[in-house]
Amino acid sequence: MQPRFLVRAAIALGATTIIVLLVLSAYRPVDAAAVLTAGKADLKSAGALTFGPDGVLFVGDSIGGAIVALDTNDKTPVKTAAVNVQGLDQKIAGLVGVMPDQILINDVAVNPISKNVYVSAARGRGPDAAPLVVKVEPSGKVTPLSLDNIPHTSVALVDAPANDATARQNPRTTTITDMAFINGNLLVTGMSNEEWNSALRSIPYPFSNAAKGTQLQIWHASHGRFETQAPVRTFVPYTLGGQPYVLAAYTCTPLVKIPMSALKPGAQVKGVTIADLGSGNQPLDMVPYQKDGHQFILIANTTFGVVKLHADTLATDKPIDSPTVVDVAGAPYDKITTLTNVRHLAQVDDGHALVVSATAGNTNLQTIALP
Amino acid sequence: MRPKLHILAIVLVLGTIARAQAVSIQLDAGTFRVAGWQPAATPPAGGWASVLSVYAGTADAPAMLGSYSVEGGTLVFRPRYPLAAGVKYRAVFHQPGRTPIERSFDGPTRLPAAATRVDRVYPSADVLPSNTLRLYIYFSAPVSRGEVADRLHILDGTGKELKDVLLPGQELWDPNNQRLTMTFDPGRIKRGLESNSKMGPPIAEGQRYTLVIDRGWPDAQGMPLAADYRKEFRGGPPVRVPPAPKQWKVTPPGAGTSTPLVVEFGRSMNYPLLQRMLQVAGPGGRVAGTIAVDGNETSWRFTPRMPWAAGTYQLMVDTDLEDISGNRIDQPFDIDVFEKVTEHLTTRMVSVPFSVR
Repeated sequence: MQPRFLVRAAIALGATTIIVLLVLSAYRPVDAAAVLTAGKADLKSAGALTFGPDGVLFVGDSIGGAIVALDTNDKTPVKTAAVNVQGLDQKIAGLVGVMPDQILINDVAVNPISKNVYVSAARGRGPDAAPLVVKVEPSGKVTPLSLDNIPHTSVALVDAPANDATARQNPRTTTITDMAFINGNLLVTGMSNEEWNSALRSIPYPFSNAAKGTQLQIWHASHGRFETQAPVRTFVPYTLGGQPYVLAAYTCTPLVKIPMSALKPGAQVKGVTIADLGSGNQPLDMVPYQKDGHQFILIANTTFGVVKLHADTLATDKPIDSPTVVDVAGAPYDKITTLTNVRHLAQVDDGHALVVSATAGNTNLQTIALP
Repeated sequence: MRPKLHILAIVLVLGTIARAQAVSIQLDAGTFRVAGWQPAATPPAGGWASVLSVYAGTADAPAMLGSYSVEGGTLVFRPRYPLAAGVKYRAVFHQPGRTPIERSFDGPTRLPAAATRVDRVYPSADVLPSNTLRLYIYFSAPVSRGEVADRLHILDGTGKELKDVLLPGQELWDPNNQRLTMTFDPGRIKRGLESNSKMGPPIAEGQRYTLVIDRGWPDAQGMPLAADYRKEFRGGPPVRVPPAPKQWKVTPPGAGTSTPLVVEFGRSMNYPLLQRMLQVAGPGGRVAGTIAVDGNETSWRFTPRMPWAAGTYQLMVDTDLEDISGNRIDQPFDIDVFEKVTEHLTTRMVSVPFSVR
């Protein structure tokens, strides 16, 4: 009798657990991936990448003038994972049947849940280049996302039409330079190939019909005294003095803080220049972090290489607000000379970043301890 | 009995060899097939990829993506992407228990494309303000991306290459890869910035420069350009005063004619923006017509589709229209403004009236 009782008890317990789990799951907040519908994600190009919640990956499509949210279905939590992949471009080239020089790697993001790395690239350098999004596992295994059939949704960016209706394709494009997801909104910056104007867009996610096309909230990123309508090249959400900010690095390399609270329709946006990295340089990516009780931001640059900005006093630093005091000044930074030929940076966890470097036609991915 | 056994063995071996020899990998119209081998109706446990894989190039790379099917008793592999010219493909057939069969194939032969060249460059003038903001390079056919660092050079008067003139790491392209936008380092253009005071503007007044585009720049087919391109120019005084439509010379056409409306700006304007930031509105709404730009982008001509009717017209000017120094209508490039934030991307327009008589 005793065994039978135990079996019954086990069944009862199991059933109760299932019911509790079902009830709990019903009360979970809506899965960000659940709003996506399966089908062909019609990407014309795959550029800037950033992760939203629940393994949703946002892909900036500069040529298509849109942002596509993809369900990576990659939600198994992993605390940390080190990646060291040599010849990533060769692996991708092999998968898609071209020589490595025909692979352009555009951006990289780390899935905050699974710690797998996602890379956007182009197969080919011409106008018929095919967009690619690949997953790179710590083992080095490279798997492309099947864009032909994947749960996804997209939102179109506003684009000015060409006057010449006979033109085969509108020559005006906005290259999406960076994206970040914060508090249910996707922040997007871009750079036009025609006007100097810069816009910082905030798009609520899930993308609603109302959020499409001209319904996007848009404001001009106006900023310190020296920069007028300059395009933001890279940015990160950042907390200063308990208040949320956007830290934006501009094309002429000033670092500017913009209070998130100011980013509202109808408000005046005023940014403050808090550092200047110097000229002839484009900032590429930023990774903010804390180490030994101090705040830092690791910044990759086209010309200056990787620098480590001391960020402890960013909240109280005197703004650089007079042209006469502009110097490579504001927050101090160290050059990280051990990191060379860095093209992209991405945060892995509190203590690690992923580095994409390219040397002699070889693109490598490597996890590093934050310096 | 023994001789018979020998014969049987020889026949079996020969038969096996014959069967093995008959198996071959073929490439036909971009599709790989295994001829002379009868696949099972269902894929093996490891999938068809465990039997047939195709590799691109010589590097140690994973097998190519694609789909497998059995068609008319033949195993077929269709690559996910079309085969590319200049690539060697290696197909490997692993028949269980036998030595793998390997065969290499060349990608399709490159089509001899008409030689691509640099068609034109804007600003087209040969004297450029020292604060010129951008270069637009138009190619006659689509070209490859990611070549600027190696193939585009700015030389000084002695032929020495200048670094730090153009913004690095930022190629901006149209969707067709035919027009490249390059930006002069804005840090060196804006007064008050450290780099402007330390290094001076990217183009110095009175100095001579040459823009050079190497013919080694591959077009979209991977073929080099027909020739090097060179544009010589001289640095002129900076243009800091924003364009003012009130100062433009507008020459109205005659009623009943299709002669163009001519607008002269008195300076060179941004060529691509002239294609879409000026419009003509008449008594019946927006006037349809074609645009021509000449005089080194100092002059805009608008030819209506229908002859002009008498009446009052407006030249509608989008205030985002820039001159070649990035000065917008009534707003210089290097003076800061805090703009009112708007919910939508709005375009502000100013209008210049003219009469057609």
